[in-house]
Amino acid sequence: MKENIYGLLAEFDTPTQLVAAAEKVRDAGYKRTDAFSPFPIHEIDEALGIKRSILPFMVLGGGIVGLASGIALQWFVHVYDYPIIVGGRPYFSLPSFIPPSYELTILLAAFTAVFGMILLNGLPQPYHPVFNVPRFALATREKFFLLIERRDPKFDYGETRSFMQSLNAQEVFDVEE
Amino acid sequence: MIRDLNFEAPAEINRWRTLALGIGGILSIVILVVALIFPEQREDALRAWLLGFIFWAGIGIGGLGILILQYLTGGAWGVVIRRLAEAASRTLPIIALLFVPVALGMTYIYEWTHLLHTGDKIVEWKKPYLTIEWWLIRSVLYFVLWGIMAALLNRWSARQDQATNAEEATKMLTDASKFSGPTMVFYVLVVSFAAIDWVMTLDPHWFSTIWGLLFAVGWALSFFCFAVTIWAALADKEPYSRILGKRHFHDVGKLMLALVMVWAYFNFSQFLIIWSGNLPEETRWYLTRMEGTWGIIGILLIVLHFAFPFLVLLNRDVKRNNKWLAAVAVFILVLRVVDMFYLIGPSPRTSGHGGGFHISIWDFIAPFAVGGIWLWYFFGELVKRPLLPVNDPFLESAIEHGKGH
Repeated sequence: MKENIYGLLAEFDTPTQLVAAAEKVRDAGYKRTDAFSPFPIHEIDEALGIKRSILPFMVLGGGIVGLASGIALQWFVHVYDYPIIVGGRPYFSLPSFIPPSYELTILLAAFTAVFGMILLNGLPQPYHPVFNVPRFALATREKFFLLIERRDPKFDYGETRSFMQSLNAQEVFDVEE
Repeated sequence: MIRDLNFEAPAEINRWRTLALGIGGILSIVILVVALIFPEQREDALRAWLLGFIFWAGIGIGGLGILILQYLTGGAWGVVIRRLAEAASRTLPIIALLFVPVALGMTYIYEWTHLLHTGDKIVEWKKPYLTIEWWLIRSVLYFVLWGIMAALLNRWSARQDQATNAEEATKMLTDASKFSGPTMVFYVLVVSFAAIDWVMTLDPHWFSTIWGLLFAVGWALSFFCFAVTIWAALADKEPYSRILGKRHFHDVGKLMLALVMVWAYFNFSQFLIIWSGNLPEETRWYLTRMEGTWGIIGILLIVLHFAFPFLVLLNRDVKRNNKWLAAVAVFILVLRVVDMFYLIGPSPRTSGHGGGFHISIWDFIAPFAVGGIWLWYFFGELVKRPLLPVNDPFLESAIEHGKGH
């Protein structure tokens, strides 16, 4: 068994083959897997058994924090710190507080979405072992790849390699660390 | 080939038609006869009729707007919803007919028809625009303009169904899309004018410049909710069982969410400007609507027409489950009626007494009366064509889209 490998990478010609292979890999019990494709394949999340992202809830949280801080900020300025009567309206004028609070809601929700996505994806990532396979460059053009990492508890070099070959892969590569 | 498959509407719709006509016909006769015979009931009955008319006409005319919109944007949801929108746009003749009681009874509905020669400064100043004859001519004009839009788009779509090759079918789609660009501008303008004439003039001393957009958006929302309800009701039957997928519902659910937000946004824009300006000529409209029962209805609208559907529709599972989404859609449709009641109800009454909360039995009956007749006509139009544009170049990918993840 090779010691310095990161995992095994199988190459496929079509997205259908990739999805079919991913389903078998998931059913075989592999957890630390990944798929690479030149374009988004919506079925792949389910095929690989990837859990739904928690990002929507983070965005909701960001939005609520934005809304609360918007109202709190205006309450602090207009009611607590420097109350001035404007146009005969009460200090705490909720209708006029809504637009800034709304904008802050959007701002923080959008920031959470963008930075949360980057964070959850583990970016920025200057180095990834899959690029050690020269043919992996084709993942941005016409080929589809499926990766099983060595960290996977079920990973066994010989067994996993023959399993991946049985998935109608074009070829199975060793990914060096 | 996909075009050889059968996309005829299920026969069940014919049963719905009879039922709708039965209910709508009887209730309509009751309302109109009461309005004719009993002078003391006339205003209540006709106002209720206006409420029902604005709500159901909104679904039909909203359908025309969505028909124009989906030609502009493209997308799978547009291909799948197109035949519903076309059928809705073809209901313009019955909408025009349902408008007749409003036109004939306008002196019992609109206060301004009595204020034209009373020395009322504001109404007098509006006289170049606000006269009975000119109001009627404009109303006819709106139907003519909408009718031209609907007729052309429906004709191209029918030709596309008969196309013998792909080029011909594509050309019809291109024509419809080119027509839809500038037409969208005119559609929104006509909706604005109609909404101002038919509803805003109920309170002739008041004005709002965002009024037309409230209706353009509200009617589009009404149509989407209506379409989702029809989809869900027919989802288990041929041919929709072969067509509709989770993602179609998801897409339209997202549009519903967006329109719920835009509805709230426009309403709040109107409120904030009037509240900030704090001028007597404008605030009176809201002051009436923020007191007593009207105020409670206003709060209910914020909670039930905005907050609740907004939070529920944020959830992805709700949008992807056709029964849940249809439940939300029906809920919003009911609130659409309440919203129209909130706009129409508190307006000054021709019989003089006004201000306080007033609701009559006819306000509950009229939406069913007008709705029955409208639905009868709508279903009649729906069964005339296959439920999908069978020759559309994007048909296959649109169906495939729905089945995706």
